[in-house]
Amino acid sequence: MKGPSPHSSTRRSFVKTLGLLAAGGEWAGSLSRLTAAEKAILPFENGMRDLVAFPGKRPLLVLTTRPPQLETPFAVFNEGLITPNDAFFVRYHLTDVPTRVDPASFRLKILGAVRKPLELSLDALKKLATPVDLVAVNQCSGNSRGFFSPRVNGGQLGHGAMGCVRWTGVPLRAVLDAAGVEPRARQVSFDGLDRGLLDATPDFVKALDIDHARDGEVMIAWGMNGEDLPMLNGYPLRLVVPGYYGTYWVKHLHRIEVLSSIYDGFWMKSAYRIPNTPDHNIEPGTAPKATVAISRFNVRSFITNLGTNATISSGRETVVRGIAFDGGSGIRTVEFSADGGRSWQGTQLGRSLGRFAFREWTAAFTPNRGAHTLMSRATNGNSEIQPLVAGWNPAGYMRNVVETVNVTAL
Amino acid sequence: MKPSLALLLIPAIAMLGNARAADTVREITLPSETEIYQASDLPGYALINAMCLTCHSVEYVKYQPPTSPRAYWQATVVKMQKIFAAPLPDEVIEPIVDYLVKTYGNERPAETKAESHRTMAHAGR
Repeated sequence: MKGPSPHSSTRRSFVKTLGLLAAGGEWAGSLSRLTAAEKAILPFENGMRDLVAFPGKRPLLVLTTRPPQLETPFAVFNEGLITPNDAFFVRYHLTDVPTRVDPASFRLKILGAVRKPLELSLDALKKLATPVDLVAVNQCSGNSRGFFSPRVNGGQLGHGAMGCVRWTGVPLRAVLDAAGVEPRARQVSFDGLDRGLLDATPDFVKALDIDHARDGEVMIAWGMNGEDLPMLNGYPLRLVVPGYYGTYWVKHLHRIEVLSSIYDGFWMKSAYRIPNTPDHNIEPGTAPKATVAISRFNVRSFITNLGTNATISSGRETVVRGIAFDGGSGIRTVEFSADGGRSWQGTQLGRSLGRFAFREWTAAFTPNRGAHTLMSRATNGNSEIQPLVAGWNPAGYMRNVVETVNVTAL
Repeated sequence: MKPSLALLLIPAIAMLGNARAADTVREITLPSETEIYQASDLPGYALINAMCLTCHSVEYVKYQPPTSPRAYWQATVVKMQKIFAAPLPDEVIEPIVDYLVKTYGNERPAETKAESHRTMAHAGR
């Protein structure tokens, strides 16, 4: 979006500015539901959702209105590997969501087990190190929870709580180095401006081990696809933890504390826990014997250009396209099956945008007349392969079963 | 002396013209919610309206799987009280849970269960 020249004070630029605001710029203020909401249906029981445009967003599937939780319509993932900012999913936990931020007075605090506590303005942060760009997927731990069988409680998401974005920021390591981490440091905790209405509600604070925080990959980002973060995605700063589930990507990040102990707040100790089994799944309906904090994505893939109930032409070559991603080892191969997994063929991988990004794949097949069960199965750089049978865990995290799309060739 | 409106506007216009996106205060207004709890004669209906709308909208309840049993609703309401510090007196827990499981869970009357299965039959990605 082109704004007025920074130094122009002509009437024309004033009018243009107003025009941009009136055209529905994110910051234009009041946005009310003018008409009855459009609906979308997720393919599980009780899956009817409203499509509503929140500030800075196109109409997205409303999981909850307050605090906002919005899911990306799946068709967006067929439009390109980069998820547009206005289509990127939104997930809050606590009701007191920031709706007004003054970038001039905003400060990021770094404190705790450091030699020199810092309070950085946005300008100071941006000058602290050379900015870096990284294309990385962010995915909610509970993405696809609605498909668990037996069903589990929690946010009943389809596959739209994920997105792939070019993030711009500085490495967290640069900020920690500027503050001088003391040798006793064990973890680093991250707090955003969002909080509960009641003081006693556990604030949403997440923590990473000190070595992870200093790995040079974790970053403090202000940019999303070349623009400032939308308010609902964490303006002005959010943590980017490549390859890790979205729960760690703290929005509206304003306080970083270096800890000499292991952080034991509710959102680390009790929430976002997965069974301590090799695939983090257990027998459906049972309780885990031991849990660990959720961490890195497993490997997933999707068909994006054909949905269930699509019709295709028999006797003609059909190109099937999709995406694959994992927690950072990269996508090695994606296989495609047109017969429900009885036979598999190789696929063509598209250009890599980096090992944390969506990777495009394409395959061609010529269907006979009739019903076809299409599947894709990705293998990552660690030789981990998507399972054919869905696992289960009580919180509905980390679904990565081979997904199925049923089409008919006419 | 009262400054004229025109004089007041000049600096405002200049500021807008000079405003750099990076320095502008960012403000949004979130859409208001439209979902309401399903009306009921159960005593929990009044209680949930009085106590459960402070911190979250209705979809947290409405979109749970309709198979959700009483144990789920009980655990969740207690979690709101004990973990999230919702000021719920102990005596409201049972009627709220009763309303939830009979309105949104697996103790709903038979005809509403059939309705949600019909919705499912139309669902497709």
